[in-house]
Amino acid sequence: MSLLRSMGLPGSLTRRRFLAGSAAAGAVAGLGPWGARAAPNLSGVTLNLMVIQPHVVGGRMVGEAFEKATGAKVNVIAVPNDQILEKVTLDVQSGANVFDVVDYWYGLLGAFAHDGMIVDVTDRIAKEIDGSAFLPILWDPYTLAEGKRWGLPYDGDSHVLFYNTEILGRHGLKPPETWDEYLATAKTVTEAQKGNGIFGTVMLGRKEPFQIGCSYANRLCGFGGAFLDANGKPLLDSDVSIASAQAMLDVAPYAFPTPLETGFEQGLPAFLSGKAAMIEFWTDLGVNAQDPKVSQIIDKWDVTQMPVGGSNTKHRASLNAGFGLAISAGSKNPDAAWELVKFGCSPAMNLSQMVTPGTGIDPVYKSTLESEQYKKAAPKVQAAAQQALNGALVWPNGAQAAKMLQGWADQLALVLDKSKTPEKAMRDTQAMWVELLGG
Amino acid sequence: MVGLAVFAVYPFIDVLALSFSKSSLGRPFQKWPVAANYLALARDETFRAALVRTMIFAIPVPLIEMTLGFSVALLLHSSLRGAGWIRGVILLPLMTPPMMVATAWKLILAPAGGLLDGVLLRTGLLDQPISFLGTMPWAFLSVAVADIWQWTPFVAILSYAALQGLPEDVVEAARVDGASSSNILWHITLPILAPTLLAILLLRVVIAFKLFDLVYGLTFGGPGFDTTVAAFQVWRTALAQFDIGLASAQTIIFAILVSLVTLPLTWLHRYSEAHAG
Repeated sequence: MSLLRSMGLPGSLTRRRFLAGSAAAGAVAGLGPWGARAAPNLSGVTLNLMVIQPHVVGGRMVGEAFEKATGAKVNVIAVPNDQILEKVTLDVQSGANVFDVVDYWYGLLGAFAHDGMIVDVTDRIAKEIDGSAFLPILWDPYTLAEGKRWGLPYDGDSHVLFYNTEILGRHGLKPPETWDEYLATAKTVTEAQKGNGIFGTVMLGRKEPFQIGCSYANRLCGFGGAFLDANGKPLLDSDVSIASAQAMLDVAPYAFPTPLETGFEQGLPAFLSGKAAMIEFWTDLGVNAQDPKVSQIIDKWDVTQMPVGGSNTKHRASLNAGFGLAISAGSKNPDAAWELVKFGCSPAMNLSQMVTPGTGIDPVYKSTLESEQYKKAAPKVQAAAQQALNGALVWPNGAQAAKMLQGWADQLALVLDKSKTPEKAMRDTQAMWVELLGG
Repeated sequence: MVGLAVFAVYPFIDVLALSFSKSSLGRPFQKWPVAANYLALARDETFRAALVRTMIFAIPVPLIEMTLGFSVALLLHSSLRGAGWIRGVILLPLMTPPMMVATAWKLILAPAGGLLDGVLLRTGLLDQPISFLGTMPWAFLSVAVADIWQWTPFVAILSYAALQGLPEDVVEAARVDGASSSNILWHITLPILAPTLLAILLLRVVIAFKLFDLVYGLTFGGPGFDTTVAAFQVWRTALAQFDIGLASAQTIIFAILVSLVTLPLTWLHRYSEAHAG
């Protein structure tokens, strides 16, 4: 996920950084996914790449490099990140068939596959792709649904805890190791500096899975919980699930006001302008926090793993968001579209985008996560991302996931609204999930 | 007839059929569980509450807009100096895209750095900011205020146009007979304009029932579900949860409610037309 949308500055990063990114992507054009083989000649072919708004800069990098490598023309079309399935479905159903390649959220993979909106690429992957090169935690969740493979991992998203070293230092505080310490830290800072417009933390609480859901998932991981058991049965009425919701409610009074109104657009500028001591956010923030164009906290921040809670002592991150590229069922040229999918998800392109500010792209390969270039570009984040992506919690992504996740986000909002207790909200979520999963 | 069939009958039959089916956005008409969607709605407290909330919004808010809009129209009609440019200026909210209206009000009402909280804090009227969009009843009132700001000019301009058509000789005759301005308003102007004003009210009530963009942009239905109105809930079901069958059932129920509520207004409009003047 990207800083661009969060900052509400879609244009400010594009020109200079895109040119810088394009230079890097130009180098990628010579590599691509074709190895020693020549790139296919796609002169005269036009492909439309649909990307979510936070991926516009990255999408343009892919498009430009692919054009150089193959001679094809690539149009990058941005859509809001909560309208991916809607846009693709309407495109295919209407017969407009504008999109060739789709930037899909892995949580909707089951819905895309079930509705036949993307193309089964099981055979193509078996012949051409080494799945073991991707981060193992991403491979199946990002590509597998209904027993078939549908795309390739493009953006490996997870949250880590960023903190403002100056604000914590001012109060003699250390980065929190536990959710209790996190609460105490937020409380200390807010009570002392609220009058100056500085708050202890930012908690994304807007009623969308991408926002309030991420905040909950971070706590669920910290308390050692999970969404589903090994048999796919929901676990949201467990003690740790309820404790996770309680932890959100506890910190809400000390968070940037007000959590229910806070999405990326409000929260991130608050953190980057030094008005918040902590924020749970995607790893690509680390690349952007050093950028003077958008950040007032250069060299005043650091990053750590998500806290732990309850009896759990093992740090674990959640795969919050995360995207793949797939061929749209409406593509008139699926072979060329597949070339673009492979190209956009190639290790060289992944690395090139990871180190370019504003792309919103995080590692999907072991090789790129551990690369020297990434370590050099984002040393603090690289270490945190490496730990976070190791055994991270996967969100439900079956055919019913859209409804499950929206209903869950609704219940969490009711907790923050104090309309429901955490226990009641999580039990209601559990009942809804059980019903939707046919239990 | 062909146009009516294409643009009215077919969509209605399609929505009706969808409401009896299990349908997702990509795969309509997967199964025919007959009344399952309607039974689900009968158990759905959230949707019932959204319908009630919609009525609470869609009846008083247009009445406030009618009162304010007609008052502005009267001022403009009474040869107010500068009426020409005022007419231009008051149209601005109406011409602003609804999402921009929501964005502007969101900036005004934001608890951190918002204009309104800033003013109230600086003047000492508040000692800590109010979360206008994150707490009740402020959130609901905020949506109402933004809607009134946006739509009052619409009422004002239409009312002004109606006032321009008022027969001057009747008004003059009343004046000559010694009628006061208030008497003229209550016994001549309003009775003559009643059919037009009721038509404007009917239009506004129907539009207010369909409130969506301000809720989407300002509160996203929150806090909790406290500003979730019916149109927003239908959108969520259809395009956030992709349950087209259930969303269609919601649409049918919603359409019935709007018809029932607006029916008395329609009768009143017909009655006033028959007895105007």
